[in-house]
Amino acid sequence: MATNVDADHVDALVSLERGEIDRRIFSDEEIFEQELKQIFGRAWLFLCHETQIPKAGDFFETPMGRDNVLTVRQKDGSIRAFLNTCTHRGNALCRAEEGNTKAFMCTYHGWSFNLGGDLIGIPDSDLFYKGDIDRSKYGLRRVPQMANYHGFVFATMDAAAPPIEDFLGTAGRMFVDLVAARGVQVVPGIQKFVIDCNWKLTVDNVFDWYHGQITHMSAFGIGFLPTSEESVTDGGGAQDTLGRKIELRGSIPDGRDEMAVIAEYGHAHSGPTARAVAAHPLSGVQKWRERPEVIEAIGPVGMQLGGHSNIFPTCWLTKSQLSLRVPISPTRTEIWWFTFVDNDATPESRAATISQAIHVFGPAGFLEQEDGENWAQATKQTHGARSAQVPHLLKMDLGRGTVVHEHGVSRIESTTNEHAQLWTFHAWAQWMKGLSWDALHAATAPPDVI
Amino acid sequence: MTSLQAETVPGAGIDQRALATMVLRSRIETFYYDEAALLDAHNYEEWVRLFSDDTHYFMPIRRTRLRRELHKEFTQPGEMAFFDDDKAILVGRWKKVADGTSWAEDPPSRTRHLITNVRVVADRGDELDVESNFHVYRTRLKSEEDSWFGCRHDVLRRCGDTFLIARRHILLDQTIVLSRNLSTLF
Repeated sequence: MATNVDADHVDALVSLERGEIDRRIFSDEEIFEQELKQIFGRAWLFLCHETQIPKAGDFFETPMGRDNVLTVRQKDGSIRAFLNTCTHRGNALCRAEEGNTKAFMCTYHGWSFNLGGDLIGIPDSDLFYKGDIDRSKYGLRRVPQMANYHGFVFATMDAAAPPIEDFLGTAGRMFVDLVAARGVQVVPGIQKFVIDCNWKLTVDNVFDWYHGQITHMSAFGIGFLPTSEESVTDGGGAQDTLGRKIELRGSIPDGRDEMAVIAEYGHAHSGPTARAVAAHPLSGVQKWRERPEVIEAIGPVGMQLGGHSNIFPTCWLTKSQLSLRVPISPTRTEIWWFTFVDNDATPESRAATISQAIHVFGPAGFLEQEDGENWAQATKQTHGARSAQVPHLLKMDLGRGTVVHEHGVSRIESTTNEHAQLWTFHAWAQWMKGLSWDALHAATAPPDVI
Repeated sequence: MTSLQAETVPGAGIDQRALATMVLRSRIETFYYDEAALLDAHNYEEWVRLFSDDTHYFMPIRRTRLRRELHKEFTQPGEMAFFDDDKAILVGRWKKVADGTSWAEDPPSRTRHLITNVRVVADRGDELDVESNFHVYRTRLKSEEDSWFGCRHDVLRRCGDTFLIARRHILLDQTIVLSRNLSTLF
């Protein structure tokens, strides 16, 4: 539903100073097309984890914008990523979402490609093409750049994009290493489901440590999430439909000890510190943080982080999961949950991680059932011409966030805040301008105050 | 005319084994219809009581696979799933809705559970393996509509003149779940 937002004037849509976002960006079709081009057509996007494709011929399909990409393990152990489209007439080469194969044969005319993407077979090529076809020209199209960062396979459609290490930067590498440095493998089974909402609302929520006490109140109510008498916070006048004051069930952590990280290209992190998380009964003993290789990989700031990270635009990393938010349309987003267990996990620890993943997030998760409802209804209201004019607010702790630039990372120590969300939208506006990579890097350099 | 005579004389000529099978299936169908009525009436407290204390309520993830790899279509227990609940978690799902703050179900969804194609696959005396198909239809709020088809592989444990669900594996006919959530039970 186009609302005539001028995608060339995106600065008017996001105000870092006022903490206000123009809600029309959550359903505008022109904006969405620009996002596919300027963001999903350029950024490094997550494809899969290397443990999903351990053997030669193993493949896994992931969308990059509207392109479908096959990530394939090669005979020599390396990994390649191809567009899942036959170079002859465009048919999807592979219709399975994952599996193992010796070769990819197009079911239209039989053009066949080996694991490396070389064109190795053309039926009746001598009789019909009479030797006129140069097979070397028609191998599968590889994505312009692909990289395996510590087991996490990313790709970009922009040949001019900086290397993955530079795109991630110190902060982004730290976010991935918070999971990767422990030594992890993917649990079979990627949860996939569709929410009728805009993808940016799902990313906004990654950093939102304010909503849990209300949105997920039922999870606290039944004891699924632990509560603490000591951390009971102020209902602030909130009341239910019977006019009764809402009594918040004190959550753990209580939001008083949080850390946000904002970084170049829009990567960010927000949530309780590792210290605050350690007080959570479900957090388990974080012995992995004591291992020398982990300490070296994640650095002194990483050692303090206990919240949620997002690699811009849509790769959310938690302690044991990665959630991709795949934009399908302005008002439709697929959610893909990848779950990790430590390679050295005991059977009990592995089972506990899997159980927690299934029962917290995912469509039947005790928390995410409610999240999808919020994002879908927020998206729907942006179709109203007047409702869409009501700004989306990210004013919490606005102007009070002192940014400490240290160890190559920009962090903010505060109570629960909305800095990481606001930073994400600020970066979104810069991406939408179609800047050069250098200019984009400069435009997303963290300020001293947010 | 022998068949007509058989019908007119009670019990004569009737295959007693076939009759027992029909009676058993009828009892199971009645059990399933009563169960569906509880779900559609949002009576989860009574519904949870239909499960044994050692039950396993499991909905695996289904994946589009090549025909020759179809044995890997579903994830297995111990891998990721959409539901992987013991009795305590199922009780938690009832209590979550009963808490009054389960916003995804307030206002509640309207659901209709249609159960068909009931087949007794094995009868071990104390327990039965029963497969059934379902169509669960859901509408929410104004225009929101979901439709789920699939089959349930149950282990029903004989318990007096009724049953307890000792295991339920739900095989949904979707790979990407085409809904914003699964706040509905199957």
